[in-house]
Amino acid sequence: MIFEQIFNMINVGLVVLDADLRVRHWNRWMELHSGISAESIVGEPIFSFYPDLNNPKFIRNCKAVLKFGNFAFFSQKLHSYLFPLKPASSFGHKFNNMQQGCTMGPLRDQDNIIRHLYISVQDVTEVVAYEQKLVAMNMQDGLTGVYNRRFLEGKLKEEFGRHKRYARPFGVIMCDIDFFKKVNDTYGHQCGDQVLKYVAATIQKLIRDTDYLARYGGEEFCCLLPEADLEAARKLAERLRQGVARGKTSCGDQEVEVTVSFGVAAVGPAIETPETLLALADQALYEAKRAGRNRVVVCPD
Amino acid sequence: MDMAPEQILSQEEKDILQEIMNIAFGRASADLAEVIDIYVELSVPFVQTIRAVDLPAYITAELRNHEMISVVEQGYLGRFRGMALLVFPAGAGRELFSLLGDGGDVSSNGLSMAVMEKETLMEVGNILIGACVGKVAELLDDLVTYSPPRITVEEHSGNAVGADLFEQGSMATVMRTVFSFQNRDINGYFFLINSSESFQWLKKALYLFLEKYA
Repeated sequence: MIFEQIFNMINVGLVVLDADLRVRHWNRWMELHSGISAESIVGEPIFSFYPDLNNPKFIRNCKAVLKFGNFAFFSQKLHSYLFPLKPASSFGHKFNNMQQGCTMGPLRDQDNIIRHLYISVQDVTEVVAYEQKLVAMNMQDGLTGVYNRRFLEGKLKEEFGRHKRYARPFGVIMCDIDFFKKVNDTYGHQCGDQVLKYVAATIQKLIRDTDYLARYGGEEFCCLLPEADLEAARKLAERLRQGVARGKTSCGDQEVEVTVSFGVAAVGPAIETPETLLALADQALYEAKRAGRNRVVVCPD
Repeated sequence: MDMAPEQILSQEEKDILQEIMNIAFGRASADLAEVIDIYVELSVPFVQTIRAVDLPAYITAELRNHEMISVVEQGYLGRFRGMALLVFPAGAGRELFSLLGDGGDVSSNGLSMAVMEKETLMEVGNILIGACVGKVAELLDDLVTYSPPRITVEEHSGNAVGADLFEQGSMATVMRTVFSFQNRDINGYFFLINSSESFQWLKKALYLFLEKYA
């Protein structure tokens, strides 16, 4: 009597299936979130209502539970969910379905014989939403939305190793906004932020999906270009330079013209470490600044 | 509790436990084949009592031939209680994934191959551990529940098994077997590390088993 009440009041989905995988019990939580009443589903095969569960993995786990008394765990990370239910929390708008952590286990009769299995369903949507946000925050620059330096450094190492191993081309562009301090001093820091966003967005639009753009420092950005040799990287840098210079951004009613200087480098036999590659691009960027800004300089091979 | 290892289980008790494991694993592999088409051979088990602090070093020594390994660990909880470790050599996830043959959903759900391999190892580990531990417990007239499995993927064998897994100062029975999947070049090790709190019960259960079957 008490347990029956708990079964229906607990904030967890509980389902009991028999050995033929027909539904025996379907608690109130499942009714609420699935929109399927216990009355209509009890006695029916679970697959009639949830045909996607009819897959080798789910069946294998059911058999292991019924035959061996195993417990089976369906983690959100790997499965996202077991039952396609509508997300219930306010975090749900990011997901098509409620994210679930599910457990399956054996239920025995008085003689210890396994006659049924239970599935518990826990709503973990909120946790997953927070987790995704944390992961994104860990990779992203808060202001511009492009990758941050931490992400870039990890990626640089990874890509450098890969391109060295397979002797594939790999290019890097370092860029720096010209006279950024003057923008800040003249128009204020809010305008400076606007300029940073404009430059990041313009570059992001012009690079390929496979390239990585990161904010490297204050007004410095860096692009990693897998499969791009020095010439391809130079051409892209030139397009980026023109793209930024052609466009305009505005702060309030003030129109601001922005230019950017670029330094380009690519992996070659003499470059042993990712740090060297980045340092060479940085040297080229310094040359571009010295030669008058708003230009692309390529580091010699 | 400062007992010498040999005082914990006598040679006779170890022999009974070994026999129980042998029967249990035989039944487990028969059931696995019949019920879920997983064909696994488990070697004659080896039972040893050692101090918990020595376990990581012991396991590392056992695995010295494998540079990189994946470990599935899962606690089991009944009167028979402890930790099960299933150790796979690197690359086993790929082999098992192709063996189980429901790979259609790799691209459709956007999961990477690495995630699918990890999932396969965890699922197979969970099933294998459940089947084997369940049968041992059954022969000892016990019922066990399990904690969710945890997995360490492709680590150097020296780091894969942490010392913090086991209570300090306690003793453990290590039950080791080598398993291989039929027709596939996948083999690994299976350790059952029985915690010292269940020793008193275990001793009694072993003799009860003997009375029933001997």
